[in-house]
Amino acid sequence: MSGPSIQCQQLGLSLGGVDILSGIDLTIPAGEIHCVIGPNGGGKTSFVRSLLGQMPHSGKVEISWQADSTQNTIGYVPQFLDFDKSLPISVYDFMAMVCNHNRPAFAGFSRGKRELTETALERVGLVGKSKTQLGSLSGGERQRMLFAQALIPQPELLILDEPMTSLDNRGEEIFLSLIEELHSQGVTIVWIAHDLQQVRDLAATISCINRTLVYAGPPQPFLDSDEAAKLFRFTRPHADTISLSELASTGPTQ
Amino acid sequence: MTDFYEWVRTSLQALAQQGTLPQAFEYGFVINALLCALLIGPLLGGVGTMVVAKRMAFFSQSIGNAAMTGVAIGVILGESYTEPYISMFCFCILFALLLNYTKGRTQLSSDTLIGVFLSVSLAVGASLLLFVSAKVNTHILEAVLFGSVLTVSNTDMNVLLVVTCVVLALGIPLFNNMLLASLNPSLARARKIRVELMEYVFVLMITLLTVACLKIVGAVLVEALLLIPAAAARNVITSLRGFVILSMIISTVSCIAGVLIPMQFDLPLPSGGAIIMVAASFFVITTIMRAVFPAYRTAKN
Repeated sequence: MSGPSIQCQQLGLSLGGVDILSGIDLTIPAGEIHCVIGPNGGGKTSFVRSLLGQMPHSGKVEISWQADSTQNTIGYVPQFLDFDKSLPISVYDFMAMVCNHNRPAFAGFSRGKRELTETALERVGLVGKSKTQLGSLSGGERQRMLFAQALIPQPELLILDEPMTSLDNRGEEIFLSLIEELHSQGVTIVWIAHDLQQVRDLAATISCINRTLVYAGPPQPFLDSDEAAKLFRFTRPHADTISLSELASTGPTQ
Repeated sequence: MTDFYEWVRTSLQALAQQGTLPQAFEYGFVINALLCALLIGPLLGGVGTMVVAKRMAFFSQSIGNAAMTGVAIGVILGESYTEPYISMFCFCILFALLLNYTKGRTQLSSDTLIGVFLSVSLAVGASLLLFVSAKVNTHILEAVLFGSVLTVSNTDMNVLLVVTCVVLALGIPLFNNMLLASLNPSLARARKIRVELMEYVFVLMITLLTVACLKIVGAVLVEALLLIPAAAARNVITSLRGFVILSMIISTVSCIAGVLIPMQFDLPLPSGGAIIMVAASFFVITTIMRAVFPAYRTAKN
């Protein structure tokens, strides 16, 4: 199996008379990890939502699915889940809500979905939390649950919107290992990332977006450039000797 | 269906005359009201959980107010004083669709916009009701506002039955989609759920339910029966299944008790008021349970 490639031509987005994105030409290769980086407010999430067809964008976005793909499955891990924390919805309820087709979540899982859910929860390290209410989960656990739902059904394209924001070290390890595992299975991964060291380690290609496309290509040349240092507001007193990776390894950029 | 209603009435009245059932069952209108209560109880309780989860309490109140305007328009247009369903359904559906359409196309927050619509519908409804009150018996208007078991007819029961079928046909298969669409629209869209369509379907469901329940609960109080049982259940429940089931039970018991208690004890209460007071007592009980027993406080607030 191999995931799709994605082509954007002159992608633009204007909301309320304000240009959020403009003139983005980009190709995301099939079956690779592509990281989207950029400063806060630069339009990364809007870009990803445009890819998903959720924004009234201009230009063209084409997802080229492989010939053997029958489902065209997209897994999506949102940045957070905004909900009333006192709602009596357990992890199982949420998974049933997301995975079932016509059977209401309060009536339990559809045939075969419980096993899929248990496997997905095990993969994200949430075994034993199935009956815990969403409001009682930590931010990191909730994020892992969101990753679990993206694994059902097995995605061919996985879109991660800053998934690491509230994760602890263990959560990060689980996420990174899952990303690598899915990549090895040929899944195309589009990942809005904070941590430039993770980007350097895992991404085959990156795009830097700040309202428009600042850079697209392999990570190394850009992350070591002065332009990146300026964009992410790193001070580089010894520009010739200190690479951005050294700065990035000290922590998140934003 | 009329024959079926008649058979139920005759059978229950016979049992009441034998002393097997309470004396109140000797009256056909009480049986009508109870049949309606058995339909609207579980329905409002179940849909109420979605209203609470989707934070749309305020919206359902505005539909109740719009129903008053619908009644007044019906009377002005010459519809039956007691069953102005065409005007009520038409006006309320138009009102709800317009509100939902505007919500998606304005910078205003949802509660502000609903507040504007609610105030306008209340003002228009009150003005028109005052205007038509000269033409009709004011008890009819009281029945619209606060519910009355005396006025429930076969037509009302048929309307309620049809609406129940429609709401079940829409609500059960689309329950997950409607809930996910409000919990996280982006995730819902990524899962190929048509979020805007789900909003319209939900709004339509609430509107149909509100209008169909008007005769029993009343325009002013129907929103309370969508909210209070679900809120009472939420106090003591930790799973979605329990939430829905307990809310349906509380709502059904409230409806039945609200119809029977005033009859049994000769209390001069409108059925809507009695139903809501019973439901409110459940809310008080579960709130106290939550405060007293730590086991009910598992979720963070």
